[in-house]
Amino acid sequence: MPIKKMLEIELRDLILLGIIVAMKIILERFTIGTSLAHIGLGFIGSVLLGYMFGPVWGAAGGGIADLVSSALFGNQGGFFIGFTLSAMVGPFIYGLFFYQKPVKIWRIVVAVLLVSIIVNVGMNTLWLHFLYNVDYKAALVQRAPMEIIVPWVQMIVVYFVLMAISRIKINR
Amino acid sequence: MNKILIGRYITGDSIVYKMDPRGKLVATILFIFVIFLANNPATYAILTIFSLVAVAATKLKGKVFWDGVKPIIWLILFTSLLQLFFTVGGKVYWQWMMLAVSSYGIINAIYIFIRFTLIVLISTVMTVTTMPLEIADAIEWLLTPLKLFKVPVDKIALVMSIALRFVPTLFDQTFKIMNAQRARGADFNNGGLITRAKAITPLLVPLFISSLETAIDLATAMESRGYRGDQGRTRYRILQWSLYDLINLVYFIILVILLLIFRTH
Repeated sequence: MPIKKMLEIELRDLILLGIIVAMKIILERFTIGTSLAHIGLGFIGSVLLGYMFGPVWGAAGGGIADLVSSALFGNQGGFFIGFTLSAMVGPFIYGLFFYQKPVKIWRIVVAVLLVSIIVNVGMNTLWLHFLYNVDYKAALVQRAPMEIIVPWVQMIVVYFVLMAISRIKINR
Repeated sequence: MNKILIGRYITGDSIVYKMDPRGKLVATILFIFVIFLANNPATYAILTIFSLVAVAATKLKGKVFWDGVKPIIWLILFTSLLQLFFTVGGKVYWQWMMLAVSSYGIINAIYIFIRFTLIVLISTVMTVTTMPLEIADAIEWLLTPLKLFKVPVDKIALVMSIALRFVPTLFDQTFKIMNAQRARGADFNNGGLITRAKAITPLLVPLFISSLETAIDLATAMESRGYRGDQGRTRYRILQWSLYDLINLVYFIILVILLLIFRTH
């Protein structure tokens, strides 16, 4: 599909994109889990962006969400373009796997794993290395326990969310 | 899941408040790259002094900045400690299998601690002294060059301002929905993993449906007010450069020059 056609979007969808971005920012503020392991809910917003708007506008939405939430809440790691890029890649990958496609378990598994390997383990560690000059090995050691557990929980949540949201789309 | 305050803006009247948000945003973004220039004790000292002066110039209480650092203080300490054990080189003081405490490690850990803290402090200065709406306008201004690559910057700006406008509204709505579901027995904080994953749908689905409705209503309202796309429109909120931005610029340039002089080449 040519880029120009991909960028076309109706006003209603553009506004919905804005509101879903707001929703992602709010979800990022929530966590589920026990006192031992907290899992932020921001990934649900990324999934919604990818699922509803596809890779291109989903990625745009992800970037905007990062910028707006920095403006509102401040960015914990500081303003850095790398994290905005990370925030764009997540919805982009979800968009590739979920946009206008039936909900399948393998899609969820592959998409969530890809996001957590590329974005959380790969890119975010790279940014930490750039920003704070931390050692790759040390950064990975620090990140590994979370990244081994979290994706599986995310998959379960994504499954229920997508099932619920796809129902709404049919109803309309 | 407790209530979270929206926005970190604190009213004030120091010169930092009078600076243009664009200038502040650019300085904040560039500060991260300027930090890369520091590589010896002298340059780290200069960076620290310049940052603390910026912090002092806001004339805000220290607690404001402590609140900025507090949420990630453990992350900062943990990262510094890991660096301490994983960096090898120089004089070795203590060793156990892969882990070692060496003179390089100690210096590196201190540097990382300083970097982390300074970046958080400067970001806090930015978000605390600038209203979110102004930051959004500044971001939009920064994105303008992307027009050359056919990026629909105006559309992105529209999405940004809508998101900014709807975060508080949706926040209230989220809590209302949560309370409504709780009143009928929904439990968001207990049960096994699958139960908790399922518990999100009674929150998300109503939120999503109301978002769809809001989008339709708002689109209709905007079109009936004559919105026909983002081109060929005027601006009501305009940012203006002032003399204070010159202070910002000069201060930043002096910092860069000092760092360039004192860093080890």
